[in-house]
Amino acid sequence: MRVARSVLALFVLFFFLAASFCPLCSSIQQVVDEKGTGSIQIEEESERIVGSPQNIKEKTGIFVFVGWMWLSVIVLVSFLRLKIKEADRLFRLKFFLEKKE
Amino acid sequence: MRNGIQSWLEERFGISEIARFLTHKKVPLHKHTVWYYTGSAILLFFTIQVITGFMLILYYKPTLEMANESVGRIMTEVPLGWIIRSVHSWSASFMIAFVFVHLLSIWITKSYRRPRELTWMSGVVLLLISLFFGFTGYLLPWDALSFSATKVGTDIPRAIPVVGAWITNLLRGGEDVTGDTLTRFYGIHVCILPVFLFILLGIHIYLIQKQGMSVPFEEESKGEKVKEIPFWPNFVYREMIIWLVLVGILFSVAIFLPPSLETRADLMAPAPEGIKPEWYFLFLFQTLKIFPAKILFISGEIVAVLLMIFAGILFFFLPFLDNKPIQRKGKFITAAAYVFIVYALIMTIWSLL
Repeated sequence: MRVARSVLALFVLFFFLAASFCPLCSSIQQVVDEKGTGSIQIEEESERIVGSPQNIKEKTGIFVFVGWMWLSVIVLVSFLRLKIKEADRLFRLKFFLEKKE
Repeated sequence: MRNGIQSWLEERFGISEIARFLTHKKVPLHKHTVWYYTGSAILLFFTIQVITGFMLILYYKPTLEMANESVGRIMTEVPLGWIIRSVHSWSASFMIAFVFVHLLSIWITKSYRRPRELTWMSGVVLLLISLFFGFTGYLLPWDALSFSATKVGTDIPRAIPVVGAWITNLLRGGEDVTGDTLTRFYGIHVCILPVFLFILLGIHIYLIQKQGMSVPFEEESKGEKVKEIPFWPNFVYREMIIWLVLVGILFSVAIFLPPSLETRADLMAPAPEGIKPEWYFLFLFQTLKIFPAKILFISGEIVAVLLMIFAGILFFFLPFLDNKPIQRKGKFITAAAYVFIVYALIMTIWSLL
């Protein structure tokens, strides 16, 4: 079953990666490359809208947000790990059972 | 003050009953417990989908003239609109990936055994709804790629004998993919599918609560009593760690790899070459491609589509087919899960090359 877990983990990881490199995201470019007409490629790409911060203030704000988010995740995960230890200890002591009765 | 609010809510909702249920609910603890987290991860991504979907609805206009422009406006003019769209798009991919993993883990651990047949079947229908969500949502930006991919996708049912052409026309709202298809897909995406999904999700979750968490066949066959932990708070704390990490990954991916918007679809333009559907349809798409044009006197496409429908029916009725899990038949069905994973991977890679 360890093999099953590894296979499934690889399966999900692969699809995440596949989604990022999916040719759909760049198929106009691919089609043009196949035809070998570089001029059309430039024309098509100029029409393409790519999501990005609109100014330096927004860009800085986003980087700060990502940093803050991961810091919060780390802090909360550490806090939750302590809570799990405590909850498991209380469960072993049958604390929930006594409280229930 | 707190006690006052608590007793007010208690009187109206009976919260202590829910709390009692949650503390009484037990989760089996064994080496496959990790797969239990996939269910709540799907719910997490679905919730994110609903929230970001509501935000996008405020600016999106489902008409032939305005669809592409409104998505462009969301990405360039609406404050942080590009992130909202990116989170919506990526959480859809994450959700479908987790639905696949969830179903495959249940298949491999044989958790669909009696009396959980209906839980499995409702799960398979939920997978189909999720895929249809992805399919309908993909057309909404109305760019050249989504238009052509939808044209190819809606043409596939045409291969089904007797009802095929009718299904294609029903999906498209006519003979071709037009503005009517866009309106139809928008309606299905934001109204019809959510209703069906909420109903089925309710049934699915009710069945899980009613029958409890399934212990994998491998653990059950050991004959020992499986260790359990309370759902609240022990299991929920563990789930919260997973949710936090997944939300972190989702936002990071959405910010650094946002989906782009191509030029507006031209109804008269020829379909570009190399059109491919979204990643979760690639293995089916490649399967269709490898079939020869003719098999004996029948079209290869018809054979492929009928085989896929047959495989889907077998998948849906899997709990009834796998009624002797310990015997050769059961082992063969588990092996089929691994074969499916390898097949899907190979076909997807082949399609990407």
